[in-house]
Amino acid sequence: MKTTSVLSAHLIDEIKALPARYPQPRSAVMPALDLAQEELGYLTPEAMTEVATALQLDAGYVEGVATFYTLFHLEPIGKHRFYMCTNLSCTLRGAEELVEHLRGAIGVHEAGEVSKDGLFSYEEVECMGACEYAPMCRVDHRYHYDLTAEKVDGLVAERRSPAAAAPLSSSPLSPTLPPERGEGDKPKRAPKKKKADG
Amino acid sequence: MAEQRGTVGGPVLTEWFAKADLHTLDVYESLGGYSALRKVVTTMTAQQVIDEVKISGLRGRGGADFPTAMKWSFVPKDHPGPKYIVVNADESEPGSAKDRYLMENSPHALIEGAAIASFAIGGHQAWIYIRGEYDLPYEMLRDAIAEAHAKGYLGDHPFGSDHALDVRLYRGHGAYICGEETALLESLEGKRAQPRSRPPFPAVKGAWGLPTAVNNVETLSTVPWIIRHGGAEYASRGTEKAKGTRMVTVSGDVQKPGNYEIEIGVTYRDIIEGLAGGMLSGRDLKVFWPGGSSAKVLPASMIDTSTDLDGLKALGTMGGSGGIIVMDDSHCVVKAAARLLRFYAHESCGKCTPCRVGGNWAVRTYDRILANEGSQLELGILERVSDGLQNGRCLCGLGDAAGWVIESTMRHFHDEYEDHCLRHTCNVGKALAHA
Ligand SMILES: Cc1cc2nc3c(=O)[nH]c(=O)nc-3n(C[C@H](O)[C@H](O)[C@H](O)COP(=O)(O)O)c2cc1C
Ligand code: SF4
Ligand code: FES
Repeated sequence: MKTTSVLSAHLIDEIKALPARYPQPRSAVMPALDLAQEELGYLTPEAMTEVATALQLDAGYVEGVATFYTLFHLEPIGKHRFYMCTNLSCTLRGAEELVEHLRGAIGVHEAGEVSKDGLFSYEEVECMGACEYAPMCRVDHRYHYDLTAEKVDGLVAERRSPAAAAPLSSSPLSPTLPPERGEGDKPKRAPKKKKADG
Repeated sequence: MAEQRGTVGGPVLTEWFAKADLHTLDVYESLGGYSALRKVVTTMTAQQVIDEVKISGLRGRGGADFPTAMKWSFVPKDHPGPKYIVVNADESEPGSAKDRYLMENSPHALIEGAAIASFAIGGHQAWIYIRGEYDLPYEMLRDAIAEAHAKGYLGDHPFGSDHALDVRLYRGHGAYICGEETALLESLEGKRAQPRSRPPFPAVKGAWGLPTAVNNVETLSTVPWIIRHGGAEYASRGTEKAKGTRMVTVSGDVQKPGNYEIEIGVTYRDIIEGLAGGMLSGRDLKVFWPGGSSAKVLPASMIDTSTDLDGLKALGTMGGSGGIIVMDDSHCVVKAAARLLRFYAHESCGKCTPCRVGGNWAVRTYDRILANEGSQLELGILERVSDGLQNGRCLCGLGDAAGWVIESTMRHFHDEYEDHCLRHTCNVGKALAHA
């Protein structure tokens, strides 16, 4: 047994409580990886091992799941990750040019590279199911629509300003943490907050 | 939520979408929401629910077009222990956004439909598997489920009855293949999402090895309306065999992209030139994907084709997920096909060889073609790869879909392929950036 762990003790407890929510405990693996990723920013081998131990699963198995899905990150990512849709409907509306513009705006050369200040990285992703607003992207758990170079600059600038220095939105991934709304496309009619239930 | 782009106040699915705060239980209920679930659990038998949906003629809107009542009736009635409804909210087919539109506007309609479906199969639990990128719909559904529980519409005694009902959420993590129903079930079980071979079918051995019906978001969102108005009323819309209305997402080079509710049987001209306001100014239609990127393309000359699902099948294409991608004459078909092949190759789960190898082979071939290194040889390779992907050589529909993109674009636009391969030119003015 390791004496120091990368995941906090209370998070491990939370992960241990997950299997009871599902008909079979294995279903907890992705929600558990979510929690770990939320805490650390990305999934280190140690984190995956700790998740595996907490769920009584094989570490290789957990890693196999994590590597299959694109929303799990195995490398450090910027604090604000731009998921830029470049599938057909967005590309027809200029997505490729926007990706190039974004690279300049955050000062990176390629997908996955983290900007020097640690604030930004980006990734080109497949259709995110909002093609009527093409071109679009996802940042900090919110979609942004009808993108132009100016809008991209705005999204970057908002996140550079001191007000945005604190985490923009606590992730809505956790089944237990009360969610906060991110910036950007705020729902104009936010439903009343109720107790979270996954 | 951003500005609604699409039908509000349509005949069935979008009937109430003009109403502010429809996502709250109070507003939804004030319009008649949850009256269908109340009626079902307090006055109907499971068989009566299945019969009503059978009369409606409703067919699944996730792409496979399978009769919904029949799917429910395959779930063994006498099975002891849990049975599940699994809602496919993975919507990842390029060009399709309609499930998101439905969930963001009316999350309670999906919850009500999922609860009715659970009742119909004699189950108590529905799981909504929602793609991980859909943060806002996830939060809205989560809040809506909590509201329904608080009101006692879900729980141990919905509307005072003894048929316990619950709806729960499970988030996906980015993989198109999770939309395929057996891959989705693997993912729900905490595994890598690789399709299962069938039989056994999910109706017999589905989620966690138990009898399961997998239904699409739109399919289930239609069910409360059918119960409220009767199956016959639903069946009075649509074509002779393909009943009712459906959602289509129009995207690409049109004036008014959006999610529109159409009566099945209207033409693509009605949709593209009517609802979507026609092409961007000064440009002409070149090609469209009639039902998501996986549906074989139709050239501009076929714009008067009907949305009748059986008619589309007879043409060798499909209504699929309803994602209509519209491309004008300023774009190159070869580059568009190359972009989609990159998608299919990237999303291949790797389980079967023709898909894993063929997809990557196609991508490399398109890369050579777009780098002006193509020749007669590349044309031949694309034909062979496309053939190798189709006709049941792959375990699931992803492989076929990749093949269809190549085959249908080559068939209708052979001249563009020849320009690229044999003459190293692109006759299209504004080309897509290298895809
Ligand atoms: C590669 C692939 C991707 C699919 N993606 C989706 C999807 O995102 N959403 C969906 O509802 N159905 C999708 N389907 C169809 C499902 O397998 C299944 O037929 C459907 O969810 C059943 O629901 P329905 O009967 O209500 O249409 C996909 C199928 C394949 C082969
Ligand atoms: S066709 Fe492709 S995606 Fe489908 S099971 Fe085979 S390898 Fe996986
Ligand atoms: S293609 Fe970009 S959201 Fe669908």
